[in-house]
Amino acid sequence: MSTAQRIIRFTLNGEAIAASVAPHENVVELLQRLGLHGARESCGQGLCGCCTVRVDGLAVSGCLYFAVQLDATCVDTIEQPFGEDGLDEVQQAFAQCGAFQCGFCTPGFVLMSRELLAANPEPSEDEIRHYLSGNLCRCAAYPEIIRAVQLAARMRRARS
Amino acid sequence: MTPFELIEPRTLDEALRLLDPADPGVRPAGGCTALMLMMKAGMLVPTRLVSLRRIEPRYRDIVASDDAITIGANASLASIEHSARVRDELPALARTLRTLANVRVRNVATLGGNLAHADPHMDLPPLLAALDASVQVQGRGSSRYASIEQLISGYYETTLAGDELIVAVRIPKRAARGCAYRKVTTRSADDWPALGIAVALEREGERVRAARVVLGAAVDRPTRLLAAEAALQGTRLDETSARRAADAAADEARPSEDARGSAAYKRELIRVHVRRTLLEAWCDEPVGAVRQ
Repeated sequence: MSTAQRIIRFTLNGEAIAASVAPHENVVELLQRLGLHGARESCGQGLCGCCTVRVDGLAVSGCLYFAVQLDATCVDTIEQPFGEDGLDEVQQAFAQCGAFQCGFCTPGFVLMSRELLAANPEPSEDEIRHYLSGNLCRCAAYPEIIRAVQLAARMRRARS
Repeated sequence: MTPFELIEPRTLDEALRLLDPADPGVRPAGGCTALMLMMKAGMLVPTRLVSLRRIEPRYRDIVASDDAITIGANASLASIEHSARVRDELPALARTLRTLANVRVRNVATLGGNLAHADPHMDLPPLLAALDASVQVQGRGSSRYASIEQLISGYYETTLAGDELIVAVRIPKRAARGCAYRKVTTRSADDWPALGIAVALEREGERVRAARVVLGAAVDRPTRLLAAEAALQGTRLDETSARRAADAAADEARPSEDARGSAAYKRELIRVHVRRTLLEAWCDEPVGAVRQ
């Protein structure tokens, strides 16, 4: 092994792929090179959540994760399609509540809200605020985001 | 980021062999969250990272025995936060983890990496010091235990040799121990704290048999406040005795001045928050712990 590029193989949104990466590249840099622009580096310090992706079922900050460490993992990003129109309940709820202005932070909020609802199907407002405290929305759409998570929780319960 | 080599050994022995105490460019890596921040800032420019994440899975285990809970150094902070054992027997640790960084960082960052990083602003070192934790350190063919105070020797400094790795943290169980940690942020809620206060109180009936009061963030390493501890010994903990101990803590502490507050301001924060942390620790009710 060396500082040179390496071939890694992993599952990206359900599809097996191979990519050549250098050890110093992070996950966001790799995804953007692969044409996926939903995870974006904003603060670069793991604080804002704009670069959220899921690795083997765990939400991580793509800006603080070396791309080579995706080797042999399953990665889900905001581009992962759901259902007939491609959107899951969280995305539908965000659209319905207008839980964004510029939309830059939205992929991270959607992914983290999905994680929250998977772990806690009926979160209180305090629990939503606490769980999403690692995601920043500079347009300050927080009230709509919280309403969207509550709506998504109701939609998920109605479905199941 | 300057290019480097990243190696992922499959065993602890192999990881230890890949370290090179003579070459400061060779660094072990846990979850890599703090490490990547330092590399992005140019504070750390390694030539080789030895990642520990693929070594034997037992180094992630959380094991309870009659007298201790032992947490593997590779355990993620989230796995400790969600461990039923930790929640039952060390609720203050589970509570502290809930406000440490955020969900994504806790999913990745490891206990060993957190301690080896030795950032003075971190929450776990003072808390683990209050809980009298000992850190198991493995070298090539040698093993030793260090207290948190022996491990962390200064600002981002530890006593770990270049070819030693933290493998586990052992937290002794104590009957009738109450514990609390308070993080005091003076700017935004998610900023590094101006101070962290950890308290562990061992009760004997209605009195304090032994106390540990540890200050973090305002000093360059987790620091026990011995005068405050002495003031608590044998007392019945109430508002008056908590206030007396907090005054002793404020008198003996030597907080540093920085963007989060002047030394005088932090001294007053210590006075207020040691008192509150003592009262919280006294009311802490570990679910599974034996009460006298």
